[in-house]
Amino acid sequence: MDFKKIFRMNDKLYVGLAGLATDVQTLDQLLRFRMGLYELREEREMSPQVFTNMLSNLLYEKRFGPYFAEPIIAGLDENEKPYLATMDLIGAISKTKDFVVAGTAEGNMYGMCETLWKPDMDEEELFETIAQALLASVDRDALSGWGGVVHIITKKGVITRELKGRQD
Amino acid sequence: MSYNAAMIPRQNPLDDAYAGKSAETRHLKPGELSTGTTIMAISFSSGVVLCADSRVSTGSYVANRASDKISQLHDHIWCCRSGSAADTQALTDYVRHYLAQLAVETGRPPEVKVAAHLMRRLCYENKDHLMAGVIVGGWDPVSGGSVYNIPLGGACISMPFAIGGSGSTYIYGLVDSEFKENMTRDEALALCKKAVSHAMARDGSSGGIIRTCVVTEEGNVKGYISGNTLPYGPAGW
Amino acid sequence: MSEFTLSPTSTPSPPGFSFDLTHRNALIAQSAAANNPGKLPKALKTGTTIVGLVYSNGIVLGADTRSTNDTTVADKNCDKIHYIAPNIYCCGAGTAADTEKTTETIASQMELLRLNCGSSTSRVVTACTLLKRMLFRHQGYISAALILGGCDVNGPHLYQIYPHGSTGKLPFTTMGSGSLAAMAVFEEGYRDDLEEGEAVELVRRAILAGIWNDLGSGSNVDTCVIRMDGSVEMGRNCVTPNDVGVLREKVVRSSVLDMKRGTTAVIGESFRKRSGGGVTLEDVVITEMET
Repeated sequence: MDFKKIFRMNDKLYVGLAGLATDVQTLDQLLRFRMGLYELREEREMSPQVFTNMLSNLLYEKRFGPYFAEPIIAGLDENEKPYLATMDLIGAISKTKDFVVAGTAEGNMYGMCETLWKPDMDEEELFETIAQALLASVDRDALSGWGGVVHIITKKGVITRELKGRQD
Repeated sequence: MSYNAAMIPRQNPLDDAYAGKSAETRHLKPGELSTGTTIMAISFSSGVVLCADSRVSTGSYVANRASDKISQLHDHIWCCRSGSAADTQALTDYVRHYLAQLAVETGRPPEVKVAAHLMRRLCYENKDHLMAGVIVGGWDPVSGGSVYNIPLGGACISMPFAIGGSGSTYIYGLVDSEFKENMTRDEALALCKKAVSHAMARDGSSGGIIRTCVVTEEGNVKGYISGNTLPYGPAGW
Repeated sequence: MSEFTLSPTSTPSPPGFSFDLTHRNALIAQSAAANNPGKLPKALKTGTTIVGLVYSNGIVLGADTRSTNDTTVADKNCDKIHYIAPNIYCCGAGTAADTEKTTETIASQMELLRLNCGSSTSRVVTACTLLKRMLFRHQGYISAALILGGCDVNGPHLYQIYPHGSTGKLPFTTMGSGSLAAMAVFEEGYRDDLEEGEAVELVRRAILAGIWNDLGSGSNVDTCVIRMDGSVEMGRNCVTPNDVGVLREKVVRSSVLDMKRGTTAVIGESFRKRSGGGVTLEDVVITEMET
């Protein structure tokens, strides 16, 4: 099935949610709702740091009956610097400089990223790297696949590319 | 939805996590700290002696080897704690709070009996959730020195002396034969030290050092015997 | 007023944990065990070595920096020494989210308390009492094992706090899965009135013992010195025995790993130009107001 797992929060902020489909969609709705309230009240866009904390608190509120979803947060901060963060299903944040992965092909993705990633890639190089890492990983995971999508968040805007993947 | 303890899945006592545990530690949740303990108190003419080992364990690991299981409830009222460390600490905190309030309201020092019955009430009314065996001892102007034993179910028994904790089973005979009515302060202290030493020697969950507290009208004298000078075995060992 | 009411989505949810999904998740877990090939996600645990020790002029805290998810290292350089007050810090072991959120909650309560009292520093016992009450209230279900250290008007204090809410005041202590390895180092090297240099060195050795000998602990050493004069020195990554940067630079990276443009087959592409964030005057057509 063509199921959407990456959600646009604003021009500079995207969130990926891996996990139980119903929780993924519920979380997207909740996040959009809270983002909207924040923007109306504060009259500014939410920074990735604030967004990460908001999501973390949202998840930890359900500590003893969690949403089955592992989020990754990617975006550009106020200074247009790349921002990457991930958390577990109850909101333990971990921020990294290189890459974050989540989902059933997590192990495969770690392997691919540790090998392919290098610092200071340009956007096209980064696209090819992440796309190849993703495609190679999901082909060895029975629960992931049916194509892929890559969003490249840049200062000018967001490039979205749908990848040709195995349909089995 | 508000917090409701009934909605938290409680552990089934038949779970694997409980397999191979003794009757006393079975009620502890996995990983919970236990003061697998030897505690003791003797009342004498003008006060009481309280005595305890210092070992706190998680399973077979000693989490704290020099802890203090003798806690102060009021100026002249103390207690020895055994069972779950978390539960007994919370209990003593509550009793200490209530006694302090009571002392202010009544304008005089609370009786040991009142302290013991406060503790009993908390232990009895929450017995499904607690693992606590407490000995309350102290001095008050009405009854002088007195000792109350509050075992697991939440009874409250006034006794001339009381022993408790996992190590106490090893020393019932010793204490029964050595105890006399109307002991002096020094006799009581010596018996406490001797009995707890013997319990520590045989009970794996008791050990470390011995802590003592002598409570009289004059005040409280705290003391300890380090682990290498315990009065254990026949003289001259 | 009106017979039409919206479901109360905008009313703030009550404070505290929400158990709405507990029952549903139990059912999912049940059916997952029966026939679902997928694994349910697990919470991050910090298989950890954390230590604390009192020296002549204050407190030294130490922690490793590995965070694990089952047997996978989820974070190679996480931060386990948490802020409580300007003069108090706290090491956390157990479930990552629990240690993070409990320390955050208590830190905020301590700040409010300071604001109410008009004081600049807090007392360590206060933090200890707040932490133990919170953990006891949740009966061990919040798995946070903590080492709390700080200096206040009464001197340096070090507490260990277990998930069930029991506490102990000690001159030196270790917690987490690497606590046994670290305690071996402490039992061998601790004495009263260590100098600051000696104390920090002992803490580093204790954490390293955990890093090497405990599989749940690893990566780098973090330290934190809290002195009696109120100064705090964070030694973030003060030892990095597992730094692979140097080794990686020596690796000759095969050109096969550099992806050339056009490697990936793309079946659709779109570009979304940045709008500039919110509405500005440029987006609005200004018309004169009729008077």
